[in-house]
Amino acid sequence: MRIRGTVVEDKRGRELSAAVDLACQHLAGRALLREEAVQLLSQHLPDSTNGLEVLQLAALQGKVQLTTAVAPAPQKPWRLLRRSKQRLHCRRCGSHEDKMRRTYCAACGNMCAYCEACLTLGRSRECELLVIGAPDHSQVGLPGPAATPDLIQRWGLSPAQSAAAGAALQFISRPHAESATPQNFLLWAVTGAGKTEMIFPLLDAVLSKGGRALVATPRRDVVLELAPRLAKAFPNRTMTTLYGGSKERWESGDLTVATTHQLLRFQEAFDLVIIDELDAFPYHNDPMLQFAANKCCKKFGSTLFLSATPPAAMQRAAARGRLPCARVPVRFHQHPLPVPKRMAMPPATRWLSKRKLPSHVAKPITESIRRGAQIFLFVPYVRQVAPLVNLLRDCSPQLGIEPQHIDGTSSKDLQRADKVTFFRNRTIQLLVTTTILERGVTVPKSDVFVLDADNPLFDSASLVQMAGRAGRSAEDPHGRVYFASNSLTISQRGAIRQIRSMNRLARKQGYLL
Amino acid sequence: MLTQISKWFSATPVPCPLCGRSSAQTSSKPPIPVRHPAARRVLSTLCASCLVGIPWIVAPICRVCGRAEDCQDCVRRKVRYYNRSRCSVRYDSLMKDWLALYKYRGHEKLEPVLAAMLAFAYERLNDELGSRNTYPFFHTITSVPLAPERLQERGFNQAERLAVQLSQWYGIRCRPLLARLRHTEKQSLKTRQSRVNDMMGNFAATSAVDSTDNLPNSVHRIILIDDVYTTGSTINECARVLKESSAPDSPAEIYGLLWARS
Repeated sequence: MRIRGTVVEDKRGRELSAAVDLACQHLAGRALLREEAVQLLSQHLPDSTNGLEVLQLAALQGKVQLTTAVAPAPQKPWRLLRRSKQRLHCRRCGSHEDKMRRTYCAACGNMCAYCEACLTLGRSRECELLVIGAPDHSQVGLPGPAATPDLIQRWGLSPAQSAAAGAALQFISRPHAESATPQNFLLWAVTGAGKTEMIFPLLDAVLSKGGRALVATPRRDVVLELAPRLAKAFPNRTMTTLYGGSKERWESGDLTVATTHQLLRFQEAFDLVIIDELDAFPYHNDPMLQFAANKCCKKFGSTLFLSATPPAAMQRAAARGRLPCARVPVRFHQHPLPVPKRMAMPPATRWLSKRKLPSHVAKPITESIRRGAQIFLFVPYVRQVAPLVNLLRDCSPQLGIEPQHIDGTSSKDLQRADKVTFFRNRTIQLLVTTTILERGVTVPKSDVFVLDADNPLFDSASLVQMAGRAGRSAEDPHGRVYFASNSLTISQRGAIRQIRSMNRLARKQGYLL
Repeated sequence: MLTQISKWFSATPVPCPLCGRSSAQTSSKPPIPVRHPAARRVLSTLCASCLVGIPWIVAPICRVCGRAEDCQDCVRRKVRYYNRSRCSVRYDSLMKDWLALYKYRGHEKLEPVLAAMLAFAYERLNDELGSRNTYPFFHTITSVPLAPERLQERGFNQAERLAVQLSQWYGIRCRPLLARLRHTEKQSLKTRQSRVNDMMGNFAATSAVDSTDNLPNSVHRIILIDDVYTTGSTINECARVLKESSAPDSPAEIYGLLWARS
């Protein structure tokens, strides 16, 4: 009897240790709450195994780290002198005491803090378990600088693109010091430079050496648009697409495309992290997402930031040489960026209430319509869209356009996607909109008008982005951009300066046609 | 520059607990239909657009369950153990989002907001019974209990939390009178008939429903709190248990008070 007992136990033990090995493989580079980890394991392990049991054994063997999700923050040395109350921080999202909320918890029977910042991805609290998979410290041997040219040539990039991609590639394949922390690289490419094409050789370099790469962007629609393009470029690699409500939540592939929120579920997972549009909402000004982006990069990995309008702090760091940076000052069609023209205009509220379009605003619009361009008309507030559309429709004979070709959209508009499609296929010629369309929408042969450009809602980054909607195609590279405002602000001046300096740089480096 | 300077002297804008946007001081807010000052204070932290979105049930059509439209459930029900029940809001998609945020996501910051909304139904019920001046008209507040497993998982019982908050505001004692015996599947996934059958024998009274500080031979009025009223089977079953366990010298009268009516 005893012998039979040990045989059964032995078999069970073998099963369990096999399950542990499999679990560690899937948990590597992850940081999950207990329930999430159990869900992941139930998807990948045979049904008979108990997820918690496997986690326990893995933790005892030191293959998985189990900690509380919300833990006391490491004390700053000068705080030790003062008697201050205990400060907590969220191990998953890095939020500090100000995001903690203490409530009575029926699960642990104490006043127990939870983190308000990362609530949308499941509640991280003091009595909750955080499962951290063992990080993979193996370093991917990347091709040296010698291999750079033929890695890039394969992707058919323009001279400016290949120069920047080459610089980035050299950066990610640099030799790492033993104590190296993940290092950042900024790829500053003007609007319409073809940023996505530039990341292909970088991903290729990492993936071909068996590394894991991540492309993250703050916006979900960009993820959905990017995923098929990457899948086409790398047909032999497994790819995971992650966003809120994605079905591939617990899969792991060579290449991951994700919204920046999903990065909270990773820890030291990727050799190459590429953050696209880092100045876009909600990534910009959110310390939680920036923490997540830092956390998901391996110790010897690299992080690459992509932007047309990096935040001021980053621009400064790049200028002082603290942040390695490559600039792409020219668009793929090698024409200079259209420089915005200043246009004096009384504040829109004044003439909107009188229902009268100022003649010096009407004139350039009429000209743009006559040359057959698609017109973006940006206003600062959603509430201005409808009155402006009505006013323009009333003035349509004067502008030389059919009233039905004028429309408006905003973040509150449910038919926004349809209207953008109509605008693309020229059913709508004049689209009144807010900053919601400042990036991501590419329409050939378009002109841009920014009304009330002196409004504090338009910072210089969004002005550059809006100006970047014009002249995107090779057929019509010289679109017109107007900043119409009552006064000239620092943001407008900064935007114009930034566009001019990029053009100057392009001319100096000989990228212009 | 001038706007910058004026910003230094203006009050720091408080972000709306629901949408997180800081409400502009100038935007006019709709009136808050609650009298209690603490509840008013809580509701005034909401921004104007969230406050406008609350579908208050101002005029209930069904006199029994307080629904804002014709109600077949109350006609079909054979035996009713509770006197009447009232709900604060219609359970529309916005309210669903708010409750999900609180109940399933566990955003406990919303607790006072939901309690303040429930205060609306409480005050209406109080007024309806003509008891505005006889203070306090009700003797006890209790709530629909949660199964221990669910409580463990969620960390809090939303109905109990609302009950505690109301009892503090209106000075009525709060007692846990009920316990849940069985762990049923989530109510929101079931049909009407299966809900009614399922509820049978689901609850038990934890202690004798006494009213020690009452005069003998007087009615013991109990408010029973829950988050959402769908068919009323939960409230009815709880009311039956409470009535049966009440002391014979002070029969219990049960009034349902719910946050939303679907």
